[in-house]
Amino acid sequence: MKTIYLLVGVLLVAGASIGAQVQAPGASSGNGAGLGPMVAGTDFSGSWRPQQLVTESQTAAGDLADFGGIPLNDAARVYALSWPASRQTVKQHQCMGYVTPYFWYAPGNYRIWEERDPYTQRLVSWRFYGQIAQGDRTVYMDGRPHPPAYAPHTFAGFSTGEYQGNTLTVTTTHLKRGWIKANGVPQSDAATVVEHFVRHGDNITVLAVIDDPVYLTEPLSKASLLVRMAKDPDAWLYPCDDSEQIFGRKSDVVPNHLFGQNPYAREYADRRKQPLLAALGGAETMYPELANAIRDTTAAENLAKARMMPSGPPAVSRAPDPTPKDGEIHTLRVSGDVYLLAGDGANIAVQVGPQGAFVVDTGSGKLADKVIAAIAKLSAKPIQFILNTTFRPDHTGGNAKLQMAGADPSVTGSFFSMQFQGAGRGATIISQLNTQSRMVEQKLPAPPSDTFAEDRRRKYYNGEAVEAFPMPNATTDGDSIVHFRRADVIVAGDIFTTTEYPHIDTKNGGSLQGEINALNFILDRTVYIHDEDGGTMIIPGHGRVTDEWEVAEYRDMLVIIRDRVQAMIKAGATLQQTQAARPTFDYDVRYGATSGPWTTNMFVEAVYTSLKNPPKTENAR
Amino acid sequence: MKRTLMLLFPIALLLASTLSAHHSFSATYDTGKTVSIEGKVIQFLLRNPHSFLHIEVKDKEGKVAVYNVEWAAAGQLNGTIAASIKSGDLVTISGNPGRDPADLRLRMVNIKRTDGQTWGFDPGQVVN
Repeated sequence: MKTIYLLVGVLLVAGASIGAQVQAPGASSGNGAGLGPMVAGTDFSGSWRPQQLVTESQTAAGDLADFGGIPLNDAARVYALSWPASRQTVKQHQCMGYVTPYFWYAPGNYRIWEERDPYTQRLVSWRFYGQIAQGDRTVYMDGRPHPPAYAPHTFAGFSTGEYQGNTLTVTTTHLKRGWIKANGVPQSDAATVVEHFVRHGDNITVLAVIDDPVYLTEPLSKASLLVRMAKDPDAWLYPCDDSEQIFGRKSDVVPNHLFGQNPYAREYADRRKQPLLAALGGAETMYPELANAIRDTTAAENLAKARMMPSGPPAVSRAPDPTPKDGEIHTLRVSGDVYLLAGDGANIAVQVGPQGAFVVDTGSGKLADKVIAAIAKLSAKPIQFILNTTFRPDHTGGNAKLQMAGADPSVTGSFFSMQFQGAGRGATIISQLNTQSRMVEQKLPAPPSDTFAEDRRRKYYNGEAVEAFPMPNATTDGDSIVHFRRADVIVAGDIFTTTEYPHIDTKNGGSLQGEINALNFILDRTVYIHDEDGGTMIIPGHGRVTDEWEVAEYRDMLVIIRDRVQAMIKAGATLQQTQAARPTFDYDVRYGATSGPWTTNMFVEAVYTSLKNPPKTENAR
Repeated sequence: MKRTLMLLFPIALLLASTLSAHHSFSATYDTGKTVSIEGKVIQFLLRNPHSFLHIEVKDKEGKVAVYNVEWAAAGQLNGTIAASIKSGDLVTISGNPGRDPADLRLRMVNIKRTDGQTWGFDPGQVVN
């Protein structure tokens, strides 16, 4: 059925394409190897406005709990039901950008233009600009590949296009988590969107197909229509600027509805006299067979109620792990002189310049020689400083080799140098005091020798202010983050990852509230360039490079889970009862694990334990 | 029959070129109700996507609460209104109450200052 449905959509586009009034030449290969492909096709340039609303089914925002026609899975439904509109007043949500195809549902103007190489006149890209979120998309037509999985995501994503007859087909990856519908129905950061653009005279039809392994059970097609404006409207800006919309609200408050407690869950269904089952969405609400499911109204009502709560077998993350696992070290410039080295356990950050290399974390050590070689490609000077954000072996395993590959002239070349055994024999390793203690206790190799406890550790290195801040009782009691201030890159260590729930180690001083506080500390230092994109960049302990949006999303998730577990603790629930209630249900499809070193159950236990018996210093910062 | 329906559905989608506000006021506020508050302006945030007024309101027992009043976009309010509203102004505001009572929110319908100056969305008033 799914195949037939998609086929119908594609045929429809193809049919529209045949009937298009604007006839375009076919693609041609051109001569001149090395100049890139010579592509030609329909001209989409001009100023456009969206066609006005015809039905509610495809609206941008929609009513609360109006999810019908969307093949969302159970996790996405629970996610959406926990979302109140009040969430939009959280600072990082006020200027949230638009992912495609939501991009095409804004009420403002659109401009489309082409960019050509000035020397060859070959088509480099199509540009799509939307007024409301000042969304600015580039669709590369020159055959370049999509970036690696560990590269940052944006609300525009990374798009490549090709002509298929008169249809421009655009494939977009590297999207941030956004909306399918801004009533809480999420589109994940693992989604791929394929859009087909067909021009019929002064109209463009955009048929988008969202393939989202995290939140959808099958692809979702969405269509929109643009109408050409004869005259440029000269109205293109809507710069967003966040503010303290709700006066006095603390940064660890994220409005949410507890499971089954959304007071508006059936408002839409009742007003429209629809069965609740139909309003709550799911793949079956796309097809005529829904009529069979709602024939028995009592059974349909009971099924709908069941779907508002966690159910089904435990879920694991459906988002691909962006960490390279090919036995090689992959280097990505993040900003300024700061680079990510990915491929050897935890992420490694390196800042380089005329003084040497400043390395944050050293990976598992399995590929230490390759890490040293990768750093040598970035810097002719030796590694002078290594900073460990935590004691964990996947962050410190390369300490010994990287230390010995480096040198600290501030020790070897200074007064009284070489009077102490080992002084200056390699790079100086820095960490928060408790990280040093844990490494010594656990006999991990090459523990730090230069520590800080409660105050920041700072250096001006390679022409850049570098600050390390201790984060008390986050994933452990020894975590720190590092801020390279000129490049404006924050290395978050395990406080933030894009691959799993935070590894809160309560036995070593970790706590959920301390973790939330640490994420908020990061968010207090970040500034985006435009609508939650860019600006301060974040290198997580594991996973891909991000900016503040993903940190805020992670913080939101932890606050929401905290509120759920806290409510259960208040009601007298045991750990086992709390785990059985699955307080992470809607996030397990993105971060969950049922095996390995950090399972969902272990995370819930850490949450429960640290909320019941919080460390005294978790709010120290 | 089934296939016919499946064919019709995507056609309907294509025809249903769609648009609504990028965020829904009806999801945030009870647009069927209007309430009124009187109080002192603490802060006026002239911002996009929407401006906010923070109003200090005393209840009958003298207890003070700060209401968060959502107004129009900066571009709509920039100019005389933005220059005129000051911290300390005493105002009466009517608006749609927020769905979440904890937020103490209103969506502005109109605002009247003690000097008689009025703005709002009612017919004949400035701002839309």
